[in-house]
Amino acid sequence: MRPSIGLKTLYDQRRGLLAWVLGLVGLVAMYAAIWPSIRDQPTFNDYLDEMPAALRSLFAASGADMSTPAGYLQVELFSLMAPLLLIGYGITAGAAAIAGEEDRRTLELLLANPVSRRRIVLEKLAALTAGMAVLGAGTALALLAAGPLAGLSLSLRGIASATVHLALLGVEFGALALAVGAATGRPGLSRAVPAVVAGLAYVVNGLAPVVSRLRPVRRFSPFYQYAGHDPLRHGLSWPAVLVTGGSILVLAALAVTGFRRRDLAA
Amino acid sequence: MIRTRGLTKSFRDVRALSGVELCVGAGEVFGYLGPNGAGKTTTLRLLMGMVRPSSGTATVLGMDAWRDAVAVHRRVGYLAGDAVLYDRLTGRQHIRYFLRLRGSSDMRHALELADRLVLDTTRPVRTLSRGNRQKLALVLALMTAPDLLILDEPTTGLDPLVQQTFSAILREHTATGGSVLLSSHVLGEVQRVADRIGVVRAGRLIAVEQLDVLRGRALHHVTARFDSPVGSMAFRRLPGLRDVRLADGVLHCDAPRSALDALLKEVARHDVRDFQCAEAELEETFLAYYGVGENDAP
Repeated sequence: MRPSIGLKTLYDQRRGLLAWVLGLVGLVAMYAAIWPSIRDQPTFNDYLDEMPAALRSLFAASGADMSTPAGYLQVELFSLMAPLLLIGYGITAGAAAIAGEEDRRTLELLLANPVSRRRIVLEKLAALTAGMAVLGAGTALALLAAGPLAGLSLSLRGIASATVHLALLGVEFGALALAVGAATGRPGLSRAVPAVVAGLAYVVNGLAPVVSRLRPVRRFSPFYQYAGHDPLRHGLSWPAVLVTGGSILVLAALAVTGFRRRDLAA
Repeated sequence: MIRTRGLTKSFRDVRALSGVELCVGAGEVFGYLGPNGAGKTTTLRLLMGMVRPSSGTATVLGMDAWRDAVAVHRRVGYLAGDAVLYDRLTGRQHIRYFLRLRGSSDMRHALELADRLVLDTTRPVRTLSRGNRQKLALVLALMTAPDLLILDEPTTGLDPLVQQTFSAILREHTATGGSVLLSSHVLGEVQRVADRIGVVRAGRLIAVEQLDVLRGRALHHVTARFDSPVGSMAFRRLPGLRDVRLADGVLHCDAPRSALDALLKEVARHDVRDFQCAEAELEETFLAYYGVGENDAP
């Protein structure tokens, strides 16, 4: 069976996807451009060390060495900006998938065809995953190019692992947005819930090293799955991939169940 | 083709539809009439499995409208009430997309329909007028030659010439055994095509009639202005007249078609300066005949 719904969803997003990729490439290019000046300032690590522990833990992965390319990118790109952008795309696409189309009233047009609600949810999620893969690949390619161009050299394995984890994180929050939208049909709610969850998860993961009461819940934060093991230096963590993939599947199942039970908004 | 039993739907605490018993047979065009907000759209959306009945059942082509929605949709063409389309796609892209979802790639019939309705399928929907959007939505509902058409206010925004083409297409559809359920709030829009009509009011199906029977009952507003004083008794005695008022040499009354002949003859006995006769709105006719029931909104 041809995945027509997913293909159309991607076709609709073609300009948006291009803009997201250009944004990510531009971001990488900017960090690559300022890398030489950071590298040549050994005092930067001292500056990081002087930050309050909580702040350093939140905004700069602790233990990162700013004088190495991996440490620099982990702090500047992978700790906040890149996840922010990919989660942003995920939430936008996830909320648009069911709730957005329902809000624009076109979902009824689609559902009048012989397509099940499950098929719509799964194809839209597949389209979101494909879009995220494009963003991840664009980021990875930009990082690869930054090596020879700006001396920001990283291992291929590190780049691939970090962007895979990054894309999985984006899909996870996209799936949450899609599930909320599928179950409620409300686009605002399906953007707000994952945004709030992402904020909390980020803070939990960031503060856990310095706040002992958060430590037990840290491993439930998607951000811990994403970067807790420092993929730029240590590569893929299969347990983290499995946990994130499993969460996505659970969210997909919830989206299907929620969507199949309810009335379509008029 | 369609059979509902005790079909009831509430949204939160508001009852939109109560115990509707509807039956549409093969080769039949059923006009589903009622004022806006009476429950027409809710009924059609229940039949399409967009919403789930609160109680009762809806069976379409022998299948449950909610549980077997996918199988039902394979054989049904549906036009939603507001004919929303994808703004950025052209007519052709719509046609190709929805054909693919039905496992087909043959656009000939769809383009033929678009031609008959005088629709340009190469333009993006956002540049189309309301009437042209409606045409495209109709093409999408009709293009797979379904067994059953469920059309919510199909003639909205269509000019009279296109309405005629649309009626012709519906006749071809029923000639081959297809059925149609179409809704409207104006009798005038369905009387050309419907065999039977049902009237829904405040969520209840209050009447189902052969259209021929109904035509005889449709009220006409009659106004006659006389040159000389006229007594009202003669008019009040005429059978079938409603709401007879006579003042200052002007007669107002409502008359069903069956009473027009006698009324005209009575009027003609006097010197007439002016005479008007206009068919009343459906809603008025039905209010007059079916009254305001206990569950009706005022």
